[in-house]
Amino acid sequence: MAKYLKNDDLGQWLSELGADYKVYAPVQEGDSIAFRPFSKGKALRIDRHATVGPKEILFPACEELLRFSYQKDEENPGRENIQVQVEENATPTLIFGSRPCDARGFDVFDGAFTQCSVKDSYYIARREQAAVVSIACTRTENTCFCNWVGGAPDGTNGSDVLLTPIQEGFVAESITEKGEALLAGSNLLAEATPEQEKEAKALRAAAHESLPEAPDFECMPEQLYGLFDNMDFWEKQSAKCISCGACTYLCPTCHCFNITDERQGNEGERLRTWDNCMSRQFTQEASGHNPRSEKAYRLKNRVGHKFCYFPELHKGHIACVGCGRCIKSCPVSLDIRQVVTSAKECRLPAEDNDNE
Amino acid sequence: MLDKLKESIKAALPELDFVMGWGMGYDPLHATPLYMYEPEDVDNLVWGPLNVHNLAVHLPSLKGKKVGIVVKGCDSRSVVELLQEGLINREDVVIFGAPCNGIVDMSKIRKAVPDAHFVHSVETDDNGLTITTDKDTHKLSLAEVMADKCTRCRFPNAVVADHFVGEKREPTVENDAYEDLESFESQGFEERRDFWMTEMDRCIRCYACRNACPLCVCRDHCVAQSRNPHWVSQRDGVRDKFMFQIIHAMHMAGRCTECGECERACPMDIPVLLLKRKLGTVIHDLFDYDSGLDAEARPPLLAFKLEEESIKEKDW
Amino acid sequence: MPVLNGRELRIVGFLCNWCSYGGADTAGVARFDQPTDLRVIRVPCSGRIDPLFIAKAFMNGADGVLVSGCHPRDCHYAEGNYYARRRLEVFKQFISVLGIEPERFEYTWVSASEGQRWQEVVTKFTNQVHTLGPLAPIPEVALSQLAQTTGTDIREEA
Repeated sequence: MAKYLKNDDLGQWLSELGADYKVYAPVQEGDSIAFRPFSKGKALRIDRHATVGPKEILFPACEELLRFSYQKDEENPGRENIQVQVEENATPTLIFGSRPCDARGFDVFDGAFTQCSVKDSYYIARREQAAVVSIACTRTENTCFCNWVGGAPDGTNGSDVLLTPIQEGFVAESITEKGEALLAGSNLLAEATPEQEKEAKALRAAAHESLPEAPDFECMPEQLYGLFDNMDFWEKQSAKCISCGACTYLCPTCHCFNITDERQGNEGERLRTWDNCMSRQFTQEASGHNPRSEKAYRLKNRVGHKFCYFPELHKGHIACVGCGRCIKSCPVSLDIRQVVTSAKECRLPAEDNDNE
Repeated sequence: MLDKLKESIKAALPELDFVMGWGMGYDPLHATPLYMYEPEDVDNLVWGPLNVHNLAVHLPSLKGKKVGIVVKGCDSRSVVELLQEGLINREDVVIFGAPCNGIVDMSKIRKAVPDAHFVHSVETDDNGLTITTDKDTHKLSLAEVMADKCTRCRFPNAVVADHFVGEKREPTVENDAYEDLESFESQGFEERRDFWMTEMDRCIRCYACRNACPLCVCRDHCVAQSRNPHWVSQRDGVRDKFMFQIIHAMHMAGRCTECGECERACPMDIPVLLLKRKLGTVIHDLFDYDSGLDAEARPPLLAFKLEEESIKEKDW
Repeated sequence: MPVLNGRELRIVGFLCNWCSYGGADTAGVARFDQPTDLRVIRVPCSGRIDPLFIAKAFMNGADGVLVSGCHPRDCHYAEGNYYARRRLEVFKQFISVLGIEPERFEYTWVSASEGQRWQEVVTKFTNQVHTLGPLAPIPEVALSQLAQTTGTDIREEA
């Protein structure tokens, strides 16, 4: 059954949830919006997409995997002993105010970190302790294209609770058992009236309507393989790219990382940090060779990974959620939709031969 | 004027690999760099307050090609700086200039029009912009939403150009008063430090500031990502992020033309230009030098005088 | 030493090999009293000093930084200190925008024979930094993490 939460009770509800969870919510920081530990003094911003999504709550930009220290062996001073300390510190965490596309990004993370042969215990620990309360979009931005990649403005994948903002409050629906418990745990939530549910439904339908028609991406893997050696195509597509990492770091699905030891004196930490495939160093090999030395190769990889290689490994799941951040925050407004549709429409050499 | 610009580009295009300019981007509020390879590409060229990007950033990576570039006044100073540093060859670049009335600051537009992400259409004229969203229409004067750098523009016309179309514009101001800096520095040292701590904290280390900078030419070999020397660590604390900005600024000393691309490119809206502005005013006051005006000039930090009149050393 | 009433601060000194390091040595050999806050790093020439060395020292917790080289016209490499003078002056004026008091950084010239001058420079500079007190540390971690470790629990606030 759907529940109803008044706008005025939202802060109170988050405070209640704060008893059991560490609550993260989108707040204003400077001119941008980011997910931060929620506290009353902070300005909650749920009227538009956050500049940077909630990805870093489950996949921090920098995380300590272990600590190490070197000590001289007391018995044998010629020997050094290494002490390694691993600290797992996942705590119950609630992500409030993510959008359906943001939440769907966690699906991609689950695919990469929990379903492959190597399981990522750090991610799994955080994911298991996390609850996600998303807000359905009732208005879609110019950069939104969730419907192109299998999502929807009111999609439920990755969320435990989905809120739909209506005139005076939110209609709340639980998606998972965890979500049901969240909604059942508070007196602030009443049963939603049929009118409220109807209003929510209408708003959600309107959001669906407002999105541009979705092209069919069924053929994308084939197209992208066909274009693999067409460097002229990729050079033109990437010409204006400045090879920064804004697109990857703001992407709800990009999950590549780097591991480094930061040592100071006899101790240090092993860190895992975000890495991005738009950087030349990403594929720099110790020999000096670099398979993706030019930005054209790197853009090809970024698009290829999202629309071809990842889907092939994960039951056709495209590693893009259509949130549009890579378009909106790109310093040169490079539009991934345009790259993908150009790739889709590009006639492959094989077809040309057929025609001749 | 735009037609004249197109004509002159079309005339020069056969001799060139391509010409860089601006076309319309993903929505009516955003222009995007446009690469014109064929004459029909030139028809997509636009000129106006949405042409925010400094295309000079691409020039050093185009060595070996003969290319054209369309510049605003500020962009042209970056080109001069690149010429001065020998990073591009004059004969490999054909420069198209036109008078600039100023460009917009997207952050200001987002503040004036909270619904800017839902824009349906934009009309620009000499007075400003009319932005229509899915809900309403906003009339904004250019002055309201103009980038700060344009409010103190001294060079609205390209300082170097092979083809200049249109009538030259008078500069907005004669001298940059650095009022923004003055107001920032009217705060105490602790407040300034706290300001940077909070601002740097949200940096995502995408290095858009660096990569959008036309003079950050180390590019793929930046110390920010080097393990040896190890100037910054991989820790994502304020310290390393701040350190990187200091590195960026210091590497720009005497070179930066304050085109503001670092700040514009920042997806998190961190006001990093202020650091370079400080260096700009220090260099100007000490050495009476402005970068990006004379390709033959000797940059002040690559020169010295036996007696430095403007440097007041501490008297112990 | 009077300046040591209270806490010793962290002051980093970059001294050129040919003049100032020798000058400091002369002061030491002559047994001139000096405050002990300064930690000396010897470099080939003041012209070798990238202003970012100084920035890095501040980031890593220095409360003051002193650079000293050969007097102008006396550089072992003829012109190193001329370039240094421009760079260091620019940097000194720059750091105020970072929120670091320009008085936390000084550059000067001390020759190998000027033991007395060295003592004076070190004493005056140390006093100067002590007047300003310690520089608040620049956090090595994100601010939200810092808030947690210092016990400002978000849950209690919310």
